[in-house]
Amino acid sequence: MLRVRATFEKKGRAKYISHLDLNRCMLRTFRRSRLPIWYTEGFNPHPYYSFALALSLGFESDCEILDFNITDDQMSMETIRDALNAVMPEGMRIVKVAEQKQKITAIAKAEYAFSLVSEDSSALYDAVQKMISEPEILIEKKTKKGIKTVDIKPETEILSCTDSGRSVDITMYLPAGTQTNFNPTLFIEALRRTTDICFDPENIRRTAILCADNTIFE
Amino acid sequence: MDLKAKIEKHLLDVQKPSRYIGGEVGSVIKDKSKIDVRFAFCFPDTYDIGMSHLGMKILYSLTNKRENYWCERCFAPSEDFEAIMRENHIPLYALESLDPIRDFDFIGFTLQYELSYANILNMLDLAGIPVFAKDRTQELGQIVIAGGPCVCNPEPLADFFDMFVLGEGEEVNLEIIDLYHEMKKKGATRLEFLRAAAQIEGVYVPQFYHFSYKDDGTIDHVDVDEGIPATVRKRIIRDYDKVYYPENFVVPFTEIVHDRVSVEVLRGCIRGCRFCQAGFIYRPFREKSADAIFAQTKRLCENTGYDEVSLASLSTSDHSDIDNMLSKLIDYTAGERINLSLPSLRVDNFSESLLNKIKKVRKSGLTFAAEGGTQRLRDVINKNVSEDEIMNTCRIAFEGGYSSVKLYFMMGLPTETDEDIVGIAELAQRIVDLFYSIEDRPRGKGGVQVSVSCATFVPKPFTPFEFEPQDTREMIEHKQKLLLGSTKSKKIKISYHDANVSMLEVILAKGDRRLCPAIYAAWKKGCKFDSWEEYFNFERWLEAFADCGIDPAFYANRRFDYDEILPWDHLDYLVDKSFLVRENKTAHEAVTTPNCRQRCSGCGVNKKVGRECFASSKSNV
Repeated sequence: MLRVRATFEKKGRAKYISHLDLNRCMLRTFRRSRLPIWYTEGFNPHPYYSFALALSLGFESDCEILDFNITDDQMSMETIRDALNAVMPEGMRIVKVAEQKQKITAIAKAEYAFSLVSEDSSALYDAVQKMISEPEILIEKKTKKGIKTVDIKPETEILSCTDSGRSVDITMYLPAGTQTNFNPTLFIEALRRTTDICFDPENIRRTAILCADNTIFE
Repeated sequence: MDLKAKIEKHLLDVQKPSRYIGGEVGSVIKDKSKIDVRFAFCFPDTYDIGMSHLGMKILYSLTNKRENYWCERCFAPSEDFEAIMRENHIPLYALESLDPIRDFDFIGFTLQYELSYANILNMLDLAGIPVFAKDRTQELGQIVIAGGPCVCNPEPLADFFDMFVLGEGEEVNLEIIDLYHEMKKKGATRLEFLRAAAQIEGVYVPQFYHFSYKDDGTIDHVDVDEGIPATVRKRIIRDYDKVYYPENFVVPFTEIVHDRVSVEVLRGCIRGCRFCQAGFIYRPFREKSADAIFAQTKRLCENTGYDEVSLASLSTSDHSDIDNMLSKLIDYTAGERINLSLPSLRVDNFSESLLNKIKKVRKSGLTFAAEGGTQRLRDVINKNVSEDEIMNTCRIAFEGGYSSVKLYFMMGLPTETDEDIVGIAELAQRIVDLFYSIEDRPRGKGGVQVSVSCATFVPKPFTPFEFEPQDTREMIEHKQKLLLGSTKSKKIKISYHDANVSMLEVILAKGDRRLCPAIYAAWKKGCKFDSWEEYFNFERWLEAFADCGIDPAFYANRRFDYDEILPWDHLDYLVDKSFLVRENKTAHEAVTTPNCRQRCSGCGVNKKVGRECFASSKSNV
C-alpha cells in the first residue's frame, strides 16, 4: 500500500468550497479518478483520506495537504497526480504527490499572505506598524467555553509588510497544526480594533505549511 | 467593476456562497463569441432545491450538446443574497458565464409547483426583465418561456409569459430554439417569432387566446387569433427507450436536496389514482429497457463520482422487467460500493435471489401511501392498496427488525366522512397492535413508532377530481381535531399540513387568467418562497385577492360543472375530458378502475398517440 501525500492548490472560485463540502468533493473526485484508493475496513467501509489542515472559507491556498492510501504499490506518483488532475474541479490542482515523510503532528505553522485594500494605504501601513510594535496584540477568540482574550503577538511572525499604494501587503507565519491554529482574520480583526481607517482584506491565501524549524512539511 | 468582481465582493457575507458562483464539476462553459442562442434555465426556488431537479439536468445537457447554443443555470437567491443584489445593483445572472440573464435569448422557467409562482415574478424583477409580457421589447430576444407539470394550467401566469411548452421537452425545446435561431438571422420581431412558434405542436402562446366570462364568473368562450391553433396538444417522446439522457450531471459543492445520480426508468403511470395529476398528465406509460437503465446508471456514476443512485419514476415497481433491472443494478452498485436507494416496492412477485439482494441494500424506513383511512375511500380515489397488503408487509418488516412505519394520508377527499378520518387512526392502531402481537419482535428501545402524515387534498386539473371542490378551512380543522381525538396510542405520531397552503395551491392550480393581477399584487406585497413555512403569509395573499376583486372560494370551494368550460380546456393532455367525467362519476359510486395493464379504460391517449400502450408487453397482462 502506498501512503500518499498530495499537495494541492485551491484558488479562484474554489475558495468558496467550505471544508465540509471539500470533503464530499474529494470523495467524488477520487471516484471519478478511478484510482485504487484504500477503503477502511469494517461495517461501513469508506475511502480513507484526510486533510492536514482546514482552510477557512474564502481563503486561497498554494499548499493544501491531502493524505490517502493507494492499494497498488506499483503505481507511480505521476500517474496518481495526473489521474486526479484530470477530474479535479476548476481552481483545484494537484501540484505534488509524494510519499508521506513526516507525521501530521510535525506541522507547526503556516505562512499566509494577504492584502488590505484601503483608500489611504499609507495611513493603514502606519497603523499596522504601530500595532505590531506594541508589546501585545489582544483578540477575542471564541472557544467552546466562551469568549477568551488571547494575545496573538508571541505567535505571530511578520515576514513582510509593504505599502503598494493601493493596499498594505502582509506575509506572516501563524501557528497551525494539531495544537494551536491561528487564522489571519484574527490579526485583521485586531487591526480593526486599533484603527478607524476603512479597509477590505483581499486575496488571503495560505502559501506554505511548515514544521517548527521553518522547513516545508512533507 | 465587472459583475464577477461585484458578486465576489459580497460572497463571504452570505450563507453557502458556492451556490452563487458556479464552477462546479460538470458545468458547461462555452466561448460566448461562438454562440448563436443563449438560454437561461431558471428554477424558481433556491439552488439547493433547483439543482435536484431532473428535468433541468436533462434539458441542460441536451441543449448544450448543440455547439452554438448555450444553456446556463439560474436560481432564486436566498433572502440574504437577494438583499445584497438589490442594494448593489447586481442583476440576476446565470451561473456558467455570470452574465445577466436579461441579455439572454430565452429565459426559461420550470413550473414544478404552484407555490413558486411569486418567485418567478421576483426573479424576473431581479433580472431587470419586465414582469408583464406586454411590457417587453418588440425585438426578438428575452423570450420568457415555461415548461413543467404546472403548465397544464398556465392561465394564472398567462400575463407574465411569452410562451408555454406542454409536455416533454426533449424534442420541442430544440425545435423552438432552432426556429428562433432561423428567425433571428432574418431579423424577425418578437411577435413574428411567437406567431410562428405557436404552429409548433406543444407550444402555447397565451397572448393569442382571449377569454370571455359569463355573469356567474365561469368561462363563456375563448377566442383565438386567426391562424393560431384552437387547442394545443402536449408533446410526448414516442421512442422513450432511445430518448436523450445526460451522460453527466453538474455536481454541486454544497449539499442539495437530492444529492445523487438519478436515473429515469419509466414515464407515465398505469395506476390511475384519481387524485394524482402526474398519473394523468404524463400518460402514456412508457419504460426504458433494463439495459438502457443500467448503462445510464453506470455512465453517470463514473462521470459524476456520486456514490449514491436513485431511480426516478412515478412507480418503479410497475416496470415490466424490474427483477432483471434491479438485479443488474444491485450487482453493479454493490461491486462499486454505490448506495442504491430503492423506492417502496411491491415485493409479491420478486424472485427469492432478488429479495435477498434487496435486503442487503435496503436501509430506509417503511412507507405506505395509503391516502385514505377506509377501504371505501381508497376505492373512491382508486388507490388500490388493501389493508391486507399493508398488514402483510408490516408483519414481514417487523419480523425483519423494523420498528417504525410511516403512513401518508390525505384529508378532504371527495365523499369523505368522519368515519374515514377515524379510520386513519384505527388503521394506525392496528399496525401498533400487530407489532405487539409478534412474538419475537425486537425488544426494548421504545417499541414501535407509527407516523401518520396528513396532507390536505388539492383537486388538480386533468384528474378525475378536477371538478371537485376543496374542503373549507373549517372542515379541515374539524377533521384534524377529530383525527387527533381518535388517536389513543402514544406510539402514533400525527402530523398534518397547513390547510392555508393547500388552499393557495388549489386556487393557483385551478385558477384562470383573472388571477394574474392578484399574483402580481401578492408579490408586490412581499410574497415569495410560499412553499417555505417561514415565508408563507396567507394573509398577504388574501389581501391581494381582495384588492383584485378575486373570491378565492370561487376557485377553491366551488364544484366545477362537467359541462363548464375549464380554464385549461383548450390544452390537450391526451386524456379525454369525457374519460375524466366518467371516472369522476365512478369515483362517487366508490367503484375502482383496473390499472392500465389489466385492462384499458379508454382514457383516449392510445387513440391520439395512434398505438396501444401495452402492445409490446402483452405478456405482462
